[in-house]
Amino acid sequence: MEPIVNDFSISIATVNGTGSQSANLILLQTLFDMGVPVSGKNLFPSNISGLPTWYILRVSNRGYQAPGDRVHIQVMMNKDTWEKDLDNCLPGTVIIYNTDIKMPAPEKEGCIIYGAAMTKMARSINPKLARMIANMAYIGVLADLLSLDQAILESAVSKQFNGKEKAISINVQAINMAREWSAENIEKQDPYTIEAAEKDPDAFFTNGNEAIALGSIYGGITMLPWYPITPSTGIAEGVATWLPRLRQDKDGKATCAIIQSEDELAAVGMVVGAGWAGGRAMTCTSGPGISLMSEFIGLAYFAEVPGVIWDVNRTGPSTGLPTRTQQGDLSMLYEASHGDTKFPVLIPGNMEECFEFAWRAFDYAEQLQTIVFGFSDLDLGMNQWSCKDFKYPDQPMNRGKILRTQEELDAVENYGRYRDVDGDGIPYRTLPGSGLAPYLTRGTGRDEDGNYSEDPKVYHKNMQRLKKKINGARTILPQPLQRLEKEREVGIVYYGSMETTIQEIDDQLEATGLMVSQCRVRALPLSPEVEKFIAEHDTTIILEINRDGQLYGIVRKEIPIDLVPKVHSVAYSDGLPPRARIYSDLILETLRGCGYDN
Amino acid sequence: MTIRLNVIDLPKSDYTGGLTSLCAGCGHNQISNVVINAAWENGIKPHQIAKMSGIGCSSKTPAYFLGKAHGFNTVHGRMPSVSTGARMTNTDLKVLAVSGDGDSASIGIGQFIHAIRRNVNMVYIIENNGVYGLTKGQYSATVEKGSKKKKGLVNETQPIDMCKLAVNLGATFVARSFSGAKKQLTSLLKAALSHDGISIIDVISPCVTFANNDESFRSYNYVKGNETELHVYDYIPHFSPVEQVDIPAGEYEDIEMHDGSILRLETVGKGHDSSNPVAALTAIHEAEIVSKHVTGLLYYDPDRPSLSQSMNLSDTPLCQLSEEDMRPDESSLDEILAHLRG
Ligand SMILES: Cc1ncc(C[n+]2csc(CCOP(=O)(O)OP(=O)(O)O)c2C)c(N)n1
Ligand code: SF4
Ligand SMILES: [Mg+2]
Repeated sequence: MEPIVNDFSISIATVNGTGSQSANLILLQTLFDMGVPVSGKNLFPSNISGLPTWYILRVSNRGYQAPGDRVHIQVMMNKDTWEKDLDNCLPGTVIIYNTDIKMPAPEKEGCIIYGAAMTKMARSINPKLARMIANMAYIGVLADLLSLDQAILESAVSKQFNGKEKAISINVQAINMAREWSAENIEKQDPYTIEAAEKDPDAFFTNGNEAIALGSIYGGITMLPWYPITPSTGIAEGVATWLPRLRQDKDGKATCAIIQSEDELAAVGMVVGAGWAGGRAMTCTSGPGISLMSEFIGLAYFAEVPGVIWDVNRTGPSTGLPTRTQQGDLSMLYEASHGDTKFPVLIPGNMEECFEFAWRAFDYAEQLQTIVFGFSDLDLGMNQWSCKDFKYPDQPMNRGKILRTQEELDAVENYGRYRDVDGDGIPYRTLPGSGLAPYLTRGTGRDEDGNYSEDPKVYHKNMQRLKKKINGARTILPQPLQRLEKEREVGIVYYGSMETTIQEIDDQLEATGLMVSQCRVRALPLSPEVEKFIAEHDTTIILEINRDGQLYGIVRKEIPIDLVPKVHSVAYSDGLPPRARIYSDLILETLRGCGYDN
Repeated sequence: MTIRLNVIDLPKSDYTGGLTSLCAGCGHNQISNVVINAAWENGIKPHQIAKMSGIGCSSKTPAYFLGKAHGFNTVHGRMPSVSTGARMTNTDLKVLAVSGDGDSASIGIGQFIHAIRRNVNMVYIIENNGVYGLTKGQYSATVEKGSKKKKGLVNETQPIDMCKLAVNLGATFVARSFSGAKKQLTSLLKAALSHDGISIIDVISPCVTFANNDESFRSYNYVKGNETELHVYDYIPHFSPVEQVDIPAGEYEDIEMHDGSILRLETVGKGHDSSNPVAALTAIHEAEIVSKHVTGLLYYDPDRPSLSQSMNLSDTPLCQLSEEDMRPDESSLDEILAHLRG
């Protein structure tokens, strides 16, 4: 039997709230520390305890990070999904199950089945904690079958339990017991194995929420009002965790105010108040929160108040699938609130960018005097991703056009709070408390000096200026990243967490003989580069994780009409992180519809 | 003519604002004048104040006082959160906020409650007229049960008493007054401006245009005795404000309104213990039973830490921090990366 090395997927079916998350993270960390390219996806329920959870580990020599097309090793620890998990096993799948679960032993034609009495082993170590420790038993069995490095495995346990001696020793004991039992009793009949490789010493695991939290701190955040919602909570918790260490003044006092607000309306209200007063304020939420914040967001647009809002997208509408992922909020962010609006949206596609865009967001917000959105999703935000570096900001802060002294104010010829004196659509502002050119900030119509006005000409001119201001952001914000094929036949425009799957999609398309260029959009409003990319290619597919093709809609609206027929949408969303095959099949189907024969 | 100056040598004209666009005779205008007086008499630098408001006739008033201060006319019912953000960002600001009974007792009641819970450093005036003035006269949630609109139904729902609510929530300064009680309101406002914490001042402030019901004793019926129905919605009557009143402690007075209806105000007695929340609630309930409004300082707790104190914020207002204070140095990031790399 030819061994299959470092190229397979493991699915682990457990019940949430049983400690399986720790076990899965230990496995992930072990593989990572062995230098094996690996990614892990936690498919968890919206529930604290008792519902099914799957953890998908993908080891891939080619660096693929999406859940693969199929599962190669299925671990069965959950009675409730027993039959379904078994049904999903294709021939050749290795099934590892807990024989202590009161279910018929799995039988499946063409599958390789190993059973181990995991709960009994756990009970022999500690009867009270048996349910938890049983999860370590599948780690032990896998360690034996896949030949995992024992020392690295033990250090992963220690990392997971933060050096807590007692927890470490019990869990190591359980892993070892199962590993030894497996070595003695299971005869390996499958080809799957792990081989250690050179580990990149710079690489580490993090998640988008943590990266954004750290980036915000280095971006000079001074206020974080927030209201808990999955999957964004990790951002606020991350800021709260790191802040005391990183951001105390010389007297040991806080330089950032964190308030857990009563709801998202209050959270964004505090952001607006803080931005108005000259602070760098941010909140983090998900779709339902953005919906609630909408009125304030429009006020901030119109009154030109800076602020940052991170949307970690989960599957909507409504409560939807609250612990699943989607790119379903993009168009809502871009045109948030009522009336004519448009907002800069930063769209990171990896951990490095989550950090970078988080600090840059404050610069953009103050420079443009508006709300700047960060757009992440559950997949980026809550799963563990390999990251090489967080690059320290390479530019000083851009505080925008704030006039802090009388001299600065006098130097602006013909100053008016809402007058475009520089021709870039961005006016100057003064801060409350300064006594400099005081004005009443309001959501009602006002003239260039900030005085109440319902004059149609005044309103129209102001709205055109706002449009000009936001349009100016097209070349300021992060530009798209492109990989161009020589033949400019088919181009794919994509964004955000699709980055984790694009290579696999590309390879699948290439296998059919199709070479595609790629353009990853990293911000809205669109850079002129996107239009150029579309113009250069015969056909462009816009690829996204939603139902209706939200970026497609935005692109169609913003490109010249003669380019529109070249652009096609491939959009698909089922709550799970993107799987390459689904998208490559849809792309091929769409291209066939355009007359390509593949 | 000599110009009178306050303790920081500023004339009162430095505290005035734009011309009001509210109806002549509106109680809210009287409150604006009191704000001007109190700030001037307290010798607060006008630019140190941040004028905050929600949406409503009442919330328009920051345009009519303290023209040298920045202000923010926010969204309906959510002024408290904007005030919180602004005050935490600049702890040198004196936040003076104006709201209406619709703004605070309905759409914004959540933010009202949580601002109290946090003890946000702000003066919070509710200009309470029992109606939604700006949307043309619907009942608000503070209107008494049994109130009847000329053409409408009797209000059958229980009113929300903002002072009771505030006392129960532990607000650190709770007062009630009347827009026509200039002297009392001025001293309450001056006290409130000196308090470090939240000061709730519920000010009965008659709407001369829409509170046109007969059976509420806090309202006007400007067409009383006049059978002709003049009052199409856009009709704005021109009244001069009700006379100023000054009711000694423990006494009450009936104030005759333009339409001849009576507002009965009582001032809390000298013996009232404003440090005792039970006494405050008792005073409100007892007045209510005999259809009076008790006015004055009902409750005061100077000791509870304000929000900015309990957050232990930097002495330098956050809006004035240097880049050095806001962005940790590069070596700190190297340490974090080393930690993450394990
Ligand atoms: C979200 C929202 N809903 C409704 C309105 C309409 N609206 C404007 S003012 C107002 C009521 C104001 O009543 P109150 O706060 O008592 O102020 P008053 O005019 O009586 O002084 C309403 C409902 C609004 N501006 N915003
Ligand atoms: S409608 Fe009523 S509350 Fe509004 S300005 Fe006129 S009198 Fe005042
Ligand atoms: Mg009202």
